[in-house]
Amino acid sequence: MGVSFNYGAHRAAKARVGKFIGKTGHLLMISLAIVLAFGGIVLIVLANPVGWLVASLAAWPAMFAKWYVGELSDISAEASETAIEASLSSGVLAHLSKQPSPHDIAAAIGQTNEGAFYGARFGLTANFLLQIASNEQSDTAEIWQTAMDVKDELNLEHLSAGTLVYALVKQLPDHDALLAHNHMELDDIKRGIEWQEHIKQLIKHHSKPRRTGGVARDWSFGYTPLLSRFGQNISQQIAAGGLLSVDLESHADALDQLVDTFSTSGRQNSVLVGATGVGKTTIVHAFAERLLDASSKLPANLKFRQVVMLDSSSLISAAPGRGQLEDLIMQVFSEAYAAKNIILCLDDAQLFFEEGVGSVDLSNVLLPIIEAGRLRMILTMDDQRYLQISQRNSALVNALNRINIAPAGKAETIKVLQDKLILTEFSRKVTYTYQSVDEAYRLSERYVHDLAMPGRALKLLESAASYNENGLVTMNSVQQAIEQTMNVKVSVAAESDDREKLLNLEELIHKRMINQDRAVSVVSDALRRARAGVRNPNRPIGTFLFLGPTGVGKTELSKALADVYFGGEDRMIRLDLNEYVRSEDVTRLIADGADDPTSLTAQAMKQPFSVVLLDEIEKAHPSVLTTLLQLLDEGILRDIKNREVSFRDAIIIATSNAGAERIREYIDRGYKLDQFEEEFTNELINSGQFRPEFLNRFDEMVVFTPLEKADLLKVVDLIIAGVNKTLALQKVSVEVDEDAKKLLVEKGYDPRLGARPMRRVIQRVVENNVAKAILSGIVKPGSAITITASQVEETMGKAEKAQAIEQEAS
Amino acid sequence: MDMIIVWALSWWYGAGWKAQLKRFLERLDSSYDYFSIGLLLRSLFAPFRQISAGKVRGPINIQIRAFADRLISRFIGAFVRLILIVVGAAWLGILAIGGVIYALLWLVVPVLPLVGFIFMTAGWVPTWE
Repeated sequence: MGVSFNYGAHRAAKARVGKFIGKTGHLLMISLAIVLAFGGIVLIVLANPVGWLVASLAAWPAMFAKWYVGELSDISAEASETAIEASLSSGVLAHLSKQPSPHDIAAAIGQTNEGAFYGARFGLTANFLLQIASNEQSDTAEIWQTAMDVKDELNLEHLSAGTLVYALVKQLPDHDALLAHNHMELDDIKRGIEWQEHIKQLIKHHSKPRRTGGVARDWSFGYTPLLSRFGQNISQQIAAGGLLSVDLESHADALDQLVDTFSTSGRQNSVLVGATGVGKTTIVHAFAERLLDASSKLPANLKFRQVVMLDSSSLISAAPGRGQLEDLIMQVFSEAYAAKNIILCLDDAQLFFEEGVGSVDLSNVLLPIIEAGRLRMILTMDDQRYLQISQRNSALVNALNRINIAPAGKAETIKVLQDKLILTEFSRKVTYTYQSVDEAYRLSERYVHDLAMPGRALKLLESAASYNENGLVTMNSVQQAIEQTMNVKVSVAAESDDREKLLNLEELIHKRMINQDRAVSVVSDALRRARAGVRNPNRPIGTFLFLGPTGVGKTELSKALADVYFGGEDRMIRLDLNEYVRSEDVTRLIADGADDPTSLTAQAMKQPFSVVLLDEIEKAHPSVLTTLLQLLDEGILRDIKNREVSFRDAIIIATSNAGAERIREYIDRGYKLDQFEEEFTNELINSGQFRPEFLNRFDEMVVFTPLEKADLLKVVDLIIAGVNKTLALQKVSVEVDEDAKKLLVEKGYDPRLGARPMRRVIQRVVENNVAKAILSGIVKPGSAITITASQVEETMGKAEKAQAIEQEAS
Repeated sequence: MDMIIVWALSWWYGAGWKAQLKRFLERLDSSYDYFSIGLLLRSLFAPFRQISAGKVRGPINIQIRAFADRLISRFIGAFVRLILIVVGAAWLGILAIGGVIYALLWLVVPVLPLVGFIFMTAGWVPTWE
């Protein structure tokens, strides 16, 4: 027999009494008690003995009001009992009927604050639960059992509303599909239950009185006026207001190491080394909080010691001269040492060890102090800077006790975010959904490179608050934030404009591209897959190798893509690989953006949503191609600083002229593209120009066919349209007769160079004639200039004559 | 209704009373922490605010002066600390007595109307002349 609910149990009945009294009843009882007490006193003063009875009757409503607050408003679970009514959250318990169906349970959840949490954070609103819950009472036992299992699994005190939400959703046969609609999985509800429990624990922890040593705590230690001026006393800040700190496993190790270092007799210093955003400063805060907690088990020589963070900028501004600054630092350090209860913290300690804007190299002053190890100090440093300083000054590094801080994993980052967001929610008056937190982790991991986790996800979530929808920060808000700040597109195409553009991509590209239907079609398909959310997110949007002779539109297609889809031709990262012919050029390819902003990784960091054009790939050194393998395969390239740079939102296009002659041969022999493409690619693999594993990394190898004269006629139209666009400013247009166009094609056609000479010919004929017409005043604004075949003949004739004379002369 | 009264009374004399005691002890603990009497006793003769507390090297007369300064600093420290110990102890005493009275009053609250009824029947009222 399954578990059942006992409606008549005392705890259930008490919960209903609590619901009946409610906040209004509680207020009424307090008011009644005050009125009775006051009325009774008035009567006694007026010498009426009835006043005694009236005043004393105030005790009963006061007693009931106290009972409501002390027990009924939140009836604690009966620990030893396993019955439903003994452990069910009192809010839900109060609203249950005698034999509740899952639908009744859903209704009860909907009336509690606990239930509202799942509505706001997960989109599992009361209405949603009512819609999915069955009306069959026979289904209820399964709900209770599932909820009890979750309670035991998560080691909860109560059978909370969250456990019932989980059970209700799980009972639905196609819950996975339904939750997928909300961008979540069933286990996410469990994470939500943990989140809610954690918030309850935080509130409980913060409502407890704090013991921080009392008024005489610092009487045995010295005054620190200089430190108060040039630093912030973190301990005082904590004692005044407290911090919402997170107990993280990774931080716990670092904290223990700090305690260990400062409680033993070795050098009294530690350096926290880790990437920016990893939580080094948070660890210092947590350490200060631990020292200040009277209940923590710490050696007596550490308890109530104060952590003061030195402010380098105020020190530098107060002592601009070199000698002055060193004097001031010595005074500050002497004061800290003499006070006997100070632990100095040099946050971003590299500012004290290198020359630069806002930083001064004080190694000569600091090294002896650090080496002596008597003044307690904590330094925090970016790992890269630590390495740089260690190269310059190995003595300094040897004198420091290093503690490495690793970036947080997903579970820990989510915990940190949930804690830190409490303050953001309060200050920005917003509520973050669970999905937004999850999405912030995913997107920041991919796009935010200048910080480590959890800092990078937190930064994104904070900026997402500006994109809230009716006070809710959703997954969409996070996507908007990253789209606006990083100029990328991460959301599934939802806007009708966007959808229209995607569906008609081929047509849009063909507005500026002639022929090459297959190439246009494969890249369009790749983009559609990406924006419909059905592509592999761990690879680039598409990787293509464009093969064909010069002037057939390989680069033009890349430009067209960048323009039509990514928003402009400037959204193309172009690398001419004939500049990467030596193995040392790999370094240039992955150089740090600060040193070389033109490196591939630096450009991709700035513009992850773009077309990456690797021109003339056959000319690159094999080491360069090997480096590019990971990019093509996983969409990741590590830069020289070992930072992961994502190319997962880029289209990678490599172009090559390899085999151009062979393509021409096929065409000359009358083959169509689909008849020789496969054979041609096989020939290319066999030729050994590219390693097979390199070619295998591309989604598609697309062969571009040489343009024929009919295609070039269309190219003429495109170029003329371009000329007209330029002339639009002068309110003049140009038209070219059909005969003239054919003549232009005749003159501009070069089977070896494709469409490239066309532009020169048109420039010479059309643009020159138009320029002359404008300058001579023949055309007036609003009129059109027509170019005839004879004008083409005449201009080209002159040009040819000039060319002949030039050749003769040479 | 009867059950409600029974529940209310059983909470009042059971978990309710314990909760009041717990809160009272927390308040006592918090006050003890505020006056930090244990810490004061442990550091009773420590130099006050480390004034003149450092080691001094030099001729004997300077060392004697430093010793005298340290002695004065320690004396001032002991004096200030003793005052706070006395004030703290007094406050804790008042708090403890107040707590006991409150705990006892708590027990009689449900029967207060009966006391009021007796007073009313007796017909006694304070006079203000």
